[in-house]
Amino acid sequence: MDIQAHFYMTVQFLSIYILLFCVMLILRAGKIYKSKEMFLASLMMTVQLILAGLVLTYIFQNPHPLFCLAYLIVMISLATRRILIKAPQLPRAFRFRVAFAFIGTALFVSTYFILIVARENLFNPQYLIPITGMLIGNAMTGFNIALKTLYEQLKSNADQINCLVMLGVHPKKILHPFINSSLETALIPTINSMVSMGIIILPGMLTGQILAGALPNTAILYQVGITIAICITVALSVYLGLHWGQHTLYGKNLQIRL
Amino acid sequence: MQKALFSLNGVGVRGSLFYSGISLYPNSLTFITGQSGCGKSTLLQLLNGTLAYESGQIFYKDREIRGIPPLTLRAEVLLVPQKIWLFPSSIQENFAQFYRLLEKPCPKDSEIRHYLSELGLEKDPASLCQELSGGERHRVYLALCLSLKPQVLLLDESTSALDAENAKKLLHILRRLKKNCTVIMVCHDQSLFDYTDSRIHLGK
Repeated sequence: MDIQAHFYMTVQFLSIYILLFCVMLILRAGKIYKSKEMFLASLMMTVQLILAGLVLTYIFQNPHPLFCLAYLIVMISLATRRILIKAPQLPRAFRFRVAFAFIGTALFVSTYFILIVARENLFNPQYLIPITGMLIGNAMTGFNIALKTLYEQLKSNADQINCLVMLGVHPKKILHPFINSSLETALIPTINSMVSMGIIILPGMLTGQILAGALPNTAILYQVGITIAICITVALSVYLGLHWGQHTLYGKNLQIRL
Repeated sequence: MQKALFSLNGVGVRGSLFYSGISLYPNSLTFITGQSGCGKSTLLQLLNGTLAYESGQIFYKDREIRGIPPLTLRAEVLLVPQKIWLFPSSIQENFAQFYRLLEKPCPKDSEIRHYLSELGLEKDPASLCQELSGGERHRVYLALCLSLKPQVLLLDESTSALDAENAKKLLHILRRLKKNCTVIMVCHDQSLFDYTDSRIHLGK
């Protein structure tokens, strides 16, 4: 595609901003003051994606494992930071274990997907970067929901926890229902999106592939694979993070630290 | 001279509370009194092993409580907090749930009835806890604690959830219990002071 054609295409796509401005005006008229936040978020998203596009174009044209690793490190660091800053109240050791479970699971599932399911070179940037990115993004949302639910439940059920600790119940048994319900809550968006997929919504990746000219059947195969991989990553990473992390919520004297 | 069940020497906690020269004796009913913020509830938590202390020593039956496994200590020295909590189900189901968590066999309905009536609560074990008054719920919790047969019962303002008449009834029951179980209780109500064997006043 020549530069002029690319320029026209960019302008064509940026015309979606006209609709965004209209919605912002409607919200403002309705005294819902989220317009500024919406505009900044969409601006950030646009700038981030343009930058990502430039970097990815360079990496795809010059594929090298070091470039892939560098991109992965940036993605993982930003996502881990976002998980951890959303749960500042939880103990440091707990957050460390969560980060470890998050990174370990995402890397394991993406490696499995690329090597076993897609049967591609692990360091093929066209596979490694978008697939790991999708897994990391969904696991990050899962952890954000799980940690928020866990902390709120521990706080709102402080009387129950106190009574049980003072009666001599082991903290592991006390925490068990809260850990389980946090995991269940974290899985809701993933399960909902799987149930509605194909009928109510066509997922972004599938739509993107079809728009880019891929055959629907090939696009669907990848979508099924990646959707299951997302489900596995969210469930396994949150399960491991919470179950491994819960031990840091009580010390050897079996007092629950909130 | 009677040997102390608990003794606290130079115990410092949270950097601001300090307990020294306190001795608590077995088979007695002791009141802990003092202004709010002087550390009455904290003292009970220290004795129950649910709060760690930074300095000094607490002895229970001549053993430093740091050396006693926490769950063993809590089973023997049971603390009833000010804010009790029950499962939103029947009394019977509550007993079953708490005993399951403690990995102990649940008492039969007749035994549950016995503990409830010990506390002046003539209720069917099938009654729903969420339909009981605050005082009744507190007595259900106390009945549950008594059924666990602790050696020491620590009560954090248990009479505050009861009216004057029921508070006096509870004190009568606790006096009877002290033959088998030492009772240590945080209490502000001066009209109940006559029921105690000893009183420890904590200063700020």
